[in-house]
Amino acid sequence: MSLTIERLNVSFNGHDVLHNLNLKLSSGEIVVILGPSGCGKTTLLRTIAGLQEQDSGIISLLDEPIHDRLCEQRGIGMLFQRPVLFPFKDVLGNILFAYKKKNLQNMDEVHSVMNEMGLVGKEQQSIETLSGGEAQRVVLARILLTEPRLLLLDEPLSALDVDLRRKIALEIRSILKSRSIPAIHVTHDPAEAELIGDRILHWNELQPGGDDEE
Amino acid sequence: MKATLGRSVPVALYLSMILVPLLFAVDRLVFVTGMNPFQAILHLDEHPLGTDAITFTFAQAILSALLTLILGLPIAWWLGRYEWKRIGIIRAALTLPFVTPTVVAAMGFLALIKEGGLLYSMGIDLRHETGLIGELSSMIGIEYSGHIIALLLAHVWFNLALVIRFVEPKISTLPPRYEDAFRMLPAGHSRWNRALYFWWPMLKTSILSAFVFTFIFSFTSFALVRWLAPNMWTLEALMAVEGGAAGIPGYRVDVSQLVLGGATLQGLVLLGALALAGRWQRQQSNEIELVSEGYLRGYTGTPGKGARLGIFAATVFALAPLVLMVFSSIRIRDRTSDSYRWSFDAWDRAFKGDLTYASVPEALTNSLAYAFGCLVLSCLLGFFVAQTIHALEEQNKTRLAQFVDVLSMLPLALSGVMVGLGVLLGILKIWPVMFSWYALPILPHAMLTTPFVVRLLLPAMREIDSDYDDAGRILGYSAYQRFVRIKLPLLKPQLVVAAALSMAFSLGEFGASWILLRSGAWDTLPVLVDQVMSRPKYFELVEPIAMAIATVLMCMTFLLFVIAERFRTHQGGGF
Repeated sequence: MSLTIERLNVSFNGHDVLHNLNLKLSSGEIVVILGPSGCGKTTLLRTIAGLQEQDSGIISLLDEPIHDRLCEQRGIGMLFQRPVLFPFKDVLGNILFAYKKKNLQNMDEVHSVMNEMGLVGKEQQSIETLSGGEAQRVVLARILLTEPRLLLLDEPLSALDVDLRRKIALEIRSILKSRSIPAIHVTHDPAEAELIGDRILHWNELQPGGDDEE
Repeated sequence: MKATLGRSVPVALYLSMILVPLLFAVDRLVFVTGMNPFQAILHLDEHPLGTDAITFTFAQAILSALLTLILGLPIAWWLGRYEWKRIGIIRAALTLPFVTPTVVAAMGFLALIKEGGLLYSMGIDLRHETGLIGELSSMIGIEYSGHIIALLLAHVWFNLALVIRFVEPKISTLPPRYEDAFRMLPAGHSRWNRALYFWWPMLKTSILSAFVFTFIFSFTSFALVRWLAPNMWTLEALMAVEGGAAGIPGYRVDVSQLVLGGATLQGLVLLGALALAGRWQRQQSNEIELVSEGYLRGYTGTPGKGARLGIFAATVFALAPLVLMVFSSIRIRDRTSDSYRWSFDAWDRAFKGDLTYASVPEALTNSLAYAFGCLVLSCLLGFFVAQTIHALEEQNKTRLAQFVDVLSMLPLALSGVMVGLGVLLGILKIWPVMFSWYALPILPHAMLTTPFVVRLLLPAMREIDSDYDDAGRILGYSAYQRFVRIKLPLLKPQLVVAAALSMAFSLGEFGASWILLRSGAWDTLPVLVDQVMSRPKYFELVEPIAMAIATVLMCMTFLLFVIAERFRTHQGGGF
């Protein structure tokens, strides 16, 4: 199994957001979780990534427990709803953030990923001039260079128009499949879920009896 | 635990830096006078000049603040409302006076009002009160009314930038649809109603904040009073001049009473004023959305004749004293023939240090060394104090955050002279040998500038989206790496502004430096100007030399101002 989550519990101010949640992902599998806004999808992804503290439960990645590790030590990539690009760097500078030290930078690898993402020629471009789709591509390129063991996609396409959303969804699927990176994609758009996922889970299947709306 | 400890150390260091010398100073004065600070306020009238100083301080501060608003509001309105060519240059020229060191401002106004100056040649003699001003003076029956007018004008000149900085961004970034919607209502049909029921509620927090800060700066005015109204006393000027005799047991106890009571009264007034300003600023920060200023300017169009004339006059008013000061450094009056000649003699003498303990290069070196030390200390402390307040806010420890926030503002309630006296009297008790320490003036300078650093960095820290930190964590960066590679670059514009303003304020700081350095060998440029101006004026080069030194100081300050302006973001209103 790529990812195993057992009896995961997360609460805010005494209110249960995730209650005894279980989830399994097989190797290279892309799972889409469909659910309404505010049901706890983002909390689930943030907890897997280590950005949100959990109350109890086990999270294992490649059969290795990771729930007691810091976020920065889990080897998980995440795309947020809004592309997070650093305004003080251009496109290439943002992508090079994948490397913690300058001497680790592999420019061949960078060019190859930029080519794959259709970003060649935009290296020196200011991030303010990028469209929403281009910005998410830059973030994805940056994450791919960190060679994540799991990718979490928190509605990264929600701000794009329908046509572009579908196009990029297919591109993301193809990239993940070519690299065999398992992923969890959360969305409230069933059409997008159909396009990108190997398996679609409704929030009610994950949290029977749980609140649909927080 | 580690993070909490790490944060507590700089905050504790900062608070002890402010509080320890002041507490020791108060302790010493209480010991010498035998009364507590509040009792000392009631004994202020025992000093021969005490009552007059209190009356004049309040009167001139209120008048200055009112006059500044009356003249500043139309300028802020015109500037914010219409589309101006080269708006950046106009705005920089109009806000220049605020970063001008007070000594430079005093020299600039002297150049304007002195015998042979521009106003004098127009028949307005504010210095000796002859002609028109003499008639006015005898009509209103106030002694030295020419001096008072000069002082009020200088305060208006100095603080006009505050009104513009606080009010103009609000006008230039308010979405036009709000006013459009109000115009459609019956109450919005007349200009008067729109001013009263729309613009006043929209702008009142900014206008009142500008009024309070102008009041504070006028209340604590020292250099301008010293040189423009030499026969009048503000509490600040009186404490500065008399303060040298304070804190000595059995000797001139009235002076110790004056310093203790004056500083307490001044501290209470300033604290009250700051509390009001802080309340209004908090209201201001959670108001409506803003649009880009270019959008609104395009919407309201180009200015009419009245607005053009007003902005032109304001720009001339802002620049005239500075330009005249430069001219006065090379225009030498020959007393025997009562004529003028052009010469660089004053510059030559200033650079050689003929009339001063130190030459201009030596004083400039001292000033820059202190300014750099102040920059390092205030930026480091200010950054960590702001980060602590922000971290406490993030952890929902709101009350503790507010407490640290108020403490960090404390030096704003202390004037330069009060801080100088605090350090002087406090250090005398703690460690007298520190008086032979070259770097001592960095301490009061950093005390005075750190609150500005906190005020600049804290809003910027609040605005940084937590997604940036999350993205850094996802990329595997440690807390230290995230701080260096993400947080610091995101805060770079505000850090540059804070660093430049710290240096500029330190370069121009006069009150505290004057108290600590006036008899030392480490004179700064402002102290050097004062030294020259204290000499008898029979030597024709005395004033031009002071003008030359002030010009050097002005150039250094403006260089830093240009750097700060390049990085300043123009929204919301404030320092």
